[in-house]
Amino acid sequence: MKRSRSFPDVLAGGIFVLIGGAFAAGSLGYELGTPLRMGPGAFPLLVGLIVAALGLAIVIKGLVAGELIEFGPIPWRAVAAITAALVFFGLTVRGLGFVPASAVTVLLTTLASTRVRPLMAVAVTAGLTAAATVIFVVGLRLRIPLIGPWLGM
Amino acid sequence: MDLLDNLALGFSTALLIQNVVYCFVGVLLGTAVGVLPGIGPTATVAMLLPITFNFEPVTALIMLAGIYYGAQYGGSTTAILINLPGESSAAVTALDGHEMARRGRAGAALAAAAVGSFIAGTVATVVLAVAAPPLARVALQFGPAEYFSLVFLGLIVSISLARGSALKALAMIALGVLLGTVGQDIYTGTPRFTLDQRELFGGIDFVSVAVGMFGVAEILRNLENEHARTAVAGRVRNLWPTREDRRRIIGPILRGTGLGAALGVLPGGGHVLASFTSYAVEKRVSKRREEFGHGAIEGVAGPESANNAAAQTSFIPLLTLGLPAHPVMALMVGAFIVHGITPGPNVITDEPALFWGLIASMWIGNVLLVLLNLPLIGIWVRMLRIPYQVLFPMIILFAAIGTYSLGFNAFDVYAIVFFGLLGYVLIKCGCEPAPLLLGFVLGPLTEENLRRALIISRGDATVFLTRPISAVLLVLAVAALIIAALPAIRRRREVVFTEED
Amino acid sequence: MPTTSTLRMIAAIGVLSLTAACGAGGSASGGYPEQNITIVVPFSAGGPTDTVTRMIAEPMAAKLGAKIVVQNVEGAGGTVGADEVANANPDGYTVLMHHIGMSTAPALYANLGFKPLESFEMIGLVTEVPMTIVARKDFEPKTLQELVTYVKANAAKVTLANAGVGAASHLCGLLFQTAAGVKLQEVPYKGTGPALTDLVGGQVDFMCDQTTNTSGQITAGEVKAYAVTTPERVKSLPNLPTTAEAGLPGLKVSVWHGLYAPKGTPQDVVQKLTEALKTALADQKVIDQMAKLGTEPVKAEDATPQAHRAKLEEQLGIWSKVIADAGVKAS
Repeated sequence: MKRSRSFPDVLAGGIFVLIGGAFAAGSLGYELGTPLRMGPGAFPLLVGLIVAALGLAIVIKGLVAGELIEFGPIPWRAVAAITAALVFFGLTVRGLGFVPASAVTVLLTTLASTRVRPLMAVAVTAGLTAAATVIFVVGLRLRIPLIGPWLGM
Repeated sequence: MDLLDNLALGFSTALLIQNVVYCFVGVLLGTAVGVLPGIGPTATVAMLLPITFNFEPVTALIMLAGIYYGAQYGGSTTAILINLPGESSAAVTALDGHEMARRGRAGAALAAAAVGSFIAGTVATVVLAVAAPPLARVALQFGPAEYFSLVFLGLIVSISLARGSALKALAMIALGVLLGTVGQDIYTGTPRFTLDQRELFGGIDFVSVAVGMFGVAEILRNLENEHARTAVAGRVRNLWPTREDRRRIIGPILRGTGLGAALGVLPGGGHVLASFTSYAVEKRVSKRREEFGHGAIEGVAGPESANNAAAQTSFIPLLTLGLPAHPVMALMVGAFIVHGITPGPNVITDEPALFWGLIASMWIGNVLLVLLNLPLIGIWVRMLRIPYQVLFPMIILFAAIGTYSLGFNAFDVYAIVFFGLLGYVLIKCGCEPAPLLLGFVLGPLTEENLRRALIISRGDATVFLTRPISAVLLVLAVAALIIAALPAIRRRREVVFTEED
Repeated sequence: MPTTSTLRMIAAIGVLSLTAACGAGGSASGGYPEQNITIVVPFSAGGPTDTVTRMIAEPMAAKLGAKIVVQNVEGAGGTVGADEVANANPDGYTVLMHHIGMSTAPALYANLGFKPLESFEMIGLVTEVPMTIVARKDFEPKTLQELVTYVKANAAKVTLANAGVGAASHLCGLLFQTAAGVKLQEVPYKGTGPALTDLVGGQVDFMCDQTTNTSGQITAGEVKAYAVTTPERVKSLPNLPTTAEAGLPGLKVSVWHGLYAPKGTPQDVVQKLTEALKTALADQKVIDQMAKLGTEPVKAEDATPQAHRAKLEEQLGIWSKVIADAGVKAS
């Protein structure tokens, strides 16, 4: 493995510093307490600082002698489609009901792949929605209405 | 020969036709629901629990126990086939199990898991029958200080789950611990990092993290370059373990069984540590350390055995003392109560048929599980031929429904997105998700026991060193940290030396 | 025997696949109920509240002629599930089983999505589970009086366990400290199971918990019991004095359970639910099952909306003061 300046290392380290720092800063808003009775903020502050410190170490290592990793392309289309699908499901499963929410979720998910043709997408949507309905609603008695109140049921 | 009499009583109860039938139904249903992506064993048991309420107490408990093992085995199957673990032990199985599946060896991985689980289950049943009460007494020696040190050791040991950089693994563990602090603080009730959303008071659900970091992140990686992607999973080489495989899994199964049986007895979270402690041990003792993370069958057989042994011995505190070791056992307590049995130390003497019948049924359950699953391997492996364009929408949809159905909490679904994206970027940067998952599971245990031990000792931190069991565990943790750091240091020195040349 | 078991097995498998089809059925007579009724339990499956609910669900369903589904909606001390029912359709098909936590929620949680007295129609009280004061078995004090003297003298080293903020054990512990006039070091756990484990293991000194959880340990001698916190002794633990008998009359607490429907549920529907509840509480099987938990159904006159409302009002008054005095806040 060749070692030199590494963008992925710096990025990963940066993420750790960011999240660790954010949690550490956030925990200052909670009581820190005493060693006898640690407050809710003490442990997250400690761990947040550890995460940030480890992140910093990764950044430094990445600048000096990082792992050479091929970062590769980012499938923006898939990222957008899957994010949209899951958020849609969370937002609408109550209101639209199980069947419409599932169907749209699958349809949005299929958009993630460039290789799924429209006809295929519709077939996958119908099949998976039916399968999910049979398994979860009929089989496992999940208490979500098939068609939700937003659709006038 | 009390033991033989007791076992005879147990088997005469467990072998009643209706008990065998329901044991089978339990194992079958547990497996069927457990394989669904996004539904872990705890959720499976919670969902199927009400079915058992209508039966005789012994039958109901036997069925429930069957559901539990079935669910665990089903969860491992999902982890191996589509890299989607439903609980922390399955995350360990996924490491090498899914790698094996990608190399066309899903059959061998599933068989190793099934056989390992069976052997572990058999041994653990014997342990349960012979030594349950004294073991439970030993387990009670573990107080908050001991649990803190044990879990801390576990956190350090999980560095070995990564095949790459130890520094990044450590950072991932710490990040997992940090994310585990989200939710209501149990000591003060203060909601932490909940962004004022009451849905986050209960914390982030493990399944959301696992589905995001493993499932969604993997889907995104697969969609990176669709044209270049080859159908890895489609071709299946030999369905069964080869002679070489069989030779390689004996040691891991036996070591895993011993480790799991011992850890499972500890009610404060020992069972969580079983599978990855076994993984760490196997990686260390193996002569083929470089294969771990790339499809080493030892990395499936050992942890699966440890997990099943621990699942079984975690019944010990419940059956002998009436104390539940984890959420599934708490559900069992509920089942006891519904059936009018007061859980407590008197169950052995008051309800001998139930106690011994349940123990005997565990072994029968393991037999049924292996009989059910070995033939099913062919079918599971065939599922890998499902075209990816169908498979990935299925994973997303089922994961969304599965996590949502847990508590009807939309935040569990949004969490999948968050962890999917975070996991994707971090994995691309050479960070591996398994250590984060373990940190996430062990983090709350660490904090809880740390704070509790300090309250009980009146703020005296030396308690971790003055209590002997705790001190030994901490020494082991430090040793593990040094061992993990050594290869990196050695490598650095080699690099330095080569540069000097 | 084999025939019934075969039938049962078919039923078990059938349950999984057929319920959806059956759900549409229900009884045809006189409107409500025409579909499945859901009882929301705001705590986890298998817990004491869930158990009590499942005990009464079957006889209630039989009386109403509809299927009853128990659903667990957990979170934030039961407030998430209560919130859900408060905002559900007031048609009698979604009802809530809640316990003492209903009367402590306003004091513990800011920004509740419901008001206990205003967001619900009370259906009736269900049971009042007594609590017991228990200690590790080698703990010095032998009686409740001795316990009070001991903890006062050793306030700096005694540890009092509980199952988390707002849990019944926590409330009972607060009340004990008030009644005994002492402030102790509390050790919270995540639920009763782990707390009891450490008590049996001798890691903590004493705690307060429901008979559901403690009676097995008490009869086996794994823990030492001082008193039960209800006005009357408990049948399953006849030798255990009440707090009043043992000299601490200020310590009265029980985990009372009640059934709620969303505000605006038609009165005749509430009445039907109350009748069904009364029938269930008079069912011998329910009485037997509750006795094994060390409790019993409330008297028939308490399984009514009026008695339920009165209880809730009284309890809201008590707990808002105790919690404010202790300075506890969940959010």
